Amino acid sequence: MSLASAVQAAPGVYEGVANVIAAAMLVIEFGMLRQALARDQIRLYMAQSALISVLAIVIAADRNLPDLYALAGLSAALKVVAVPLVMRRLLGRIDPDIEDEAPGVAGSQTLSPASAVLAGIVLAAYGFFCFGTLKIHGPAAPALALALAAAMVLVSFGLMIVRRDVASQAIGFFTLENAISLAALVVASGLPLILETAFLFDLLVAVVVFGMLIRAHHVRAESLSTADLTRLRG
Amino acid sequence: MSAALPVPVIQLLQVLTVALGAPGVTGVIAKVEARLQGRRGPRVLQPYYDLAKLFRKEALAPEGASWFFLAAPVIAVTAYLTIPLLIPVLTTYGLPLGYMGDILGGGFLLSLASFVVATAALETGDPYAQLGSSRAKTFSAITEPVVLFVVFTVALLTGTDLPYALAATVRSSAGQVIRPAHLLASVALFMVILHETGRIPVETHTGTNEFGMIEEARAFEHSGPFFALLKWGSELKQLILYTILADVFLAPWGLASTRQLGAILLAIVALLAKACAVGCVVAVIDDSFAKLRLFKITEYVSAAFLIAVLGVFTLYLGGG
Repeated sequence: MSLASAVQAAPGVYEGVANVIAAAMLVIEFGMLRQALARDQIRLYMAQSALISVLAIVIAADRNLPDLYALAGLSAALKVVAVPLVMRRLLGRIDPDIEDEAPGVAGSQTLSPASAVLAGIVLAAYGFFCFGTLKIHGPAAPALALALAAAMVLVSFGLMIVRRDVASQAIGFFTLENAISLAALVVASGLPLILETAFLFDLLVAVVVFGMLIRAHHVRAESLSTADLTRLRG
Repeated sequence: MSAALPVPVIQLLQVLTVALGAPGVTGVIAKVEARLQGRRGPRVLQPYYDLAKLFRKEALAPEGASWFFLAAPVIAVTAYLTIPLLIPVLTTYGLPLGYMGDILGGGFLLSLASFVVATAALETGDPYAQLGSSRAKTFSAITEPVVLFVVFTVALLTGTDLPYALAATVRSSAGQVIRPAHLLASVALFMVILHETGRIPVETHTGTNEFGMIEEARAFEHSGPFFALLKWGSELKQLILYTILADVFLAPWGLASTRQLGAILLAIVALLAKACAVGCVVAVIDDSFAKLRLFKITEYVSAAFLIAVLGVFTLYLGGG
């Protein structure tokens, strides 16, 4: 991969579209990193999930994999509609007096937004170049989309680390699943449908577990912030 | 069949189009903006009347200000009028003077203009003018890395940093338009342009409210023709930046590829239409987002920086 080969050689339209969608997902991931309110984070998560469904449709159309249409529909129903709905109801039920924001979420950043973004850029660069050197080329895979997925995994870990509230950490975990799905779509889009849907059910389990965590934590601490938990160490 | 124009005439037309079109584009944006706010708004030609009025007025300089105070607006407008020679305004082919500077050359001219205006503001001793020039310099230092990374992306895409080369690359195939590096660089440049033309994130470009004042404050002590030159200069800067965005990055179509009179006239109309379209998008964005507090500007710029850096990253794996 010399620099000279990058110059002038434009990939085809299909690779271009796949890469642009993957890049947009990564940008949305960064958006979550700086977004202060849980409500807005859920909106961004919806957008990101919608993008991955679109990507599944693009790959299905281009590579003639009708299975992926079903997967796209299923993942859209689950990640664009169901999970955000559950998260909203969960956060809404915690404190119905507060109309749009659960306590402890706003202002839970440990870094200022600009520093968080810079740290995220470093993480993304690490994931990006590590996967770049692996030179994995799947049959449907633009290598770039895979590297973008790796960067997304690391940035979503970063999101979970720099935020001190359960809601953002849950969202960070869900976007981790989005990143893995992206990588799976790119590398192994011919995977049997049953395996792909199994991943989606993993997500359901995660939603249930995080839902219980959020409620249990709120019952104990009266807030979604995990800052109090540091006092628990022995 | 219309006659072919000599090259120097086309070169001159590039400058004239920008020079005479800039106030009109500003007028269109002001009109659209007013409409969006439910006001009737000024006439589209209002900026021309403003300039004509100011050019007829008396020019005063503060006591103790040197000759530089009066020379600065002239130098700034000269710098702005030089840039249209370097970028593709009307033609797809490079004009003879088009190769005397690359993108960085254009950037240097823009900073030279901004530097002389800021220095002239310092001459006056007026606190507002000084505040404006201090802010303008600080924030342009913050946005500089974004611009650099956009230039790097261009250089990696085309192997050169001539604006004509990038426009030609973008025109060459659909794959060039839809590659992430190109789109990310365009978005980052657009965000910088929003900031540079005094829109989002903090500045109110029309008001005289000192909290959000950056560019506008610098001209406080100028009057008469010199104030007119400064106003015209900022309108020129806006149109130049829109031209770079539209003719180099987003839509390098509609440019003349021959020297025929008809093609050139069509290109002039197309350029002004594209600039007005960009302006309408800018007005919608400006009206639909809240302004940030002044010190939050780093958050906005860090977002633009992120997008520009991702553009360079994607190129390194070839597929970008």
